[in-house]
Amino acid sequence: MAIARARIKSVGAAQSPLLGAAMFTPAVLYILLLVAGPFSLAFLYAFSDARIGNTEMHYVGLENFRSILKSPSFRMAIRNSFIFTICSQIVVIVGANILAIALEKTFRGRGFIRFLILLPWVAPIALGAIGWKWILDSIYSVISWVLVALHFYKPFNAPMWLGEPHLAIASVLLVHSWRLMPFSTVLLLAGRTAIPKDIPEAAAVDGAGFWRTQFQIIIPMMRPILSVAVLFGLIFTFTDMTVVYILTAGGPFDSTQTLPSLAFAMGIQGSDLAAGAAISLFLVPLLIIIAYFMLRVAHRAEVN
Amino acid sequence: MAKKKQEGRSRRDFIRWTGSGALALGAASGPFFLFPERAAAQQKTLKILQWSHFVPAYDTWFDGTFCKQWGQKNNTNVIIDHINLVDLSAKAASEASAQKGHDLFMLLSPPAAYEKQTIDMTHVYQEVEKKHGKKIDLGHKSTYNPKTKRYFAFSDSYVPDPGNWHKDWWADAGFPNGPDTWEDLRIGAKKIRDKSGHPCGLGLSQELDTSMAMRALLWSFGAAEQDEAGNVTLNSKETIEALKYMKALYQESETPEVFTWTPPSNNQAMLAGRVSFVANAISITRQAEREHLPIESKIMVSRALRGPVRRIAAEHVMDCYIIWDFAENKEGGQQFLIDYIDAFHDGFVAGQFYNFPCFPSTVPDLKKEIASDPRATPPDKYKVLGDVLDWATNVGYPGYGSAAIDEAFKAWVIPTMFAKVARGDETPENAAKAADEEYKRIFARWK
Repeated sequence: MAIARARIKSVGAAQSPLLGAAMFTPAVLYILLLVAGPFSLAFLYAFSDARIGNTEMHYVGLENFRSILKSPSFRMAIRNSFIFTICSQIVVIVGANILAIALEKTFRGRGFIRFLILLPWVAPIALGAIGWKWILDSIYSVISWVLVALHFYKPFNAPMWLGEPHLAIASVLLVHSWRLMPFSTVLLLAGRTAIPKDIPEAAAVDGAGFWRTQFQIIIPMMRPILSVAVLFGLIFTFTDMTVVYILTAGGPFDSTQTLPSLAFAMGIQGSDLAAGAAISLFLVPLLIIIAYFMLRVAHRAEVN
Repeated sequence: MAKKKQEGRSRRDFIRWTGSGALALGAASGPFFLFPERAAAQQKTLKILQWSHFVPAYDTWFDGTFCKQWGQKNNTNVIIDHINLVDLSAKAASEASAQKGHDLFMLLSPPAAYEKQTIDMTHVYQEVEKKHGKKIDLGHKSTYNPKTKRYFAFSDSYVPDPGNWHKDWWADAGFPNGPDTWEDLRIGAKKIRDKSGHPCGLGLSQELDTSMAMRALLWSFGAAEQDEAGNVTLNSKETIEALKYMKALYQESETPEVFTWTPPSNNQAMLAGRVSFVANAISITRQAEREHLPIESKIMVSRALRGPVRRIAAEHVMDCYIIWDFAENKEGGQQFLIDYIDAFHDGFVAGQFYNFPCFPSTVPDLKKEIASDPRATPPDKYKVLGDVLDWATNVGYPGYGSAAIDEAFKAWVIPTMFAKVARGDETPENAAKAADEEYKRIFARWK
């Protein structure tokens, strides 16, 4: 009786509007101060002549957008942002699925392998990117050192992983995929373990093979989880500047420049706050569209 | 109970005695014990931010000797923060946006974009010039805005940007004194590359050292980003010739590693005994001396290379101190700079001749001092820098280091132009035209 009364009390407290508001306030404040505030500022700057060294600014309409559209670096940055985002997501989703299938099985040392796979996600991205920079370095690259030691290349002619545009693009893709794969793997693994065992078993009894079970039963059932993994992956990659900034600084000659790294270079380093803001605003409609479609897919899957 | 009290002291006694002692001490030390903020008000604070110097001994002298003594003399608590050079721009931007930060902020390139948020340094220059004579033109052009007639920064020193070359390999290639001209560089570097495989290390990346080296090449061929009046002049036949030269040099003597470099990369490549020539400050040889590397005696220093038109190179970095409009101790910052120039010679020695003076009279025997350096092998290694003022100039030459020049510099337009041509991704004509248009776009934004 006493327990029942306590439960009723606690439910009542949970339904109290004051408590609800109090619990909701930190999230609202966080969004207002750290998301809505900077976003509004970026919007304001993008239509102004704001410079880092000036305290005043004036409305200039679409001038900043017209100006950056003329910049070849900007056009390259748009192209690269899409390449890095789409290609890395393909690699991540395929790789994470394979890993999730492998890690679903029980085997000796599975816990340790799971720990190892999670490491890139746990470590700060800047640290990981610095590690990769040294691995791919023009002088001290361990990969090049091995290739030279194995006589695949002469000492001064080893591949320059960050010096050739196509290799540099591949390197950035590799690091993005390396970073995001653990997160997607964990999500997909959780999705797989949530599927009742009798469904794939029934499919097996009906004669469905491995591929058919995966593509016609498991993956469709995991669509909401997959959507979340892709959504997060797209947003993380599209808005990330750390990997490019540390690994290539946008080079060689802008061939790995992305919208966030260019916005930083022009807006902060180049002091042209308005141009930087205009570049960063180009991300917004794209991200809204991506988020809308992904959430719609997730919602449909939930309803079904 | 009574016995216990006789044997020891009660807690009440302890509190009474310690309380009395504290009050007595407080009375003896005057009102500052009770009102510590009054004591603090007596002493001012000066907050300085500057880079972590490439020669660590300089920071030891600056922080531990000069600032300490200056603080004692001026009853000021001097707080010095050092950060990596690549973070200076972002840090300055954050301080300007927050309208709060350090009193004195040192940048390594002309910070013209911040002019409206910095105090006019004319007074500091005037005071220093009274004692030490006129500043060099390089310092003037890097800190003065001819349109507003204001000094937005104060420059105490600059760093020369000589060539660094490997003695043995260049001697084998027929250049025992190293390359003297850009043509020498092309011929000698190719010979070395063909014979031993060692490439030339002139950067083609989006970073500081490349930017300086490529500007030196442009100017040596008679080209420039702008004219004296600040009009964009990049699309010229001289620029195209410089681009053709770099394409040939890259294809004959370099590897794609030069596209990947960050500022320390050419230091590493030279010290690792990998490349035959780089353009950089004397941080390479100083590091070799400091760490007693065997290659130290093999790396020599040369003047800027002579091109078809002139011998010229940019300063490697330009010390530019600004005092924010919102700084809390503007007077202290100005006085600090004036007094710092008085002690410049000590800094010059502590920095192992890395920073050259903007007021030449502060190091009257510069040529003699650098001509005999016991740390170097041979001791006269740095003698070639004696005439540096004949060939060192400012970014933006022949014009001023304006805000537009600064943005174009940080947008890496020049390195990108050279890199595209060197790789064969763009013709020299198209690359010059594209870079010119980009410069005009940037310049239009600062009008």
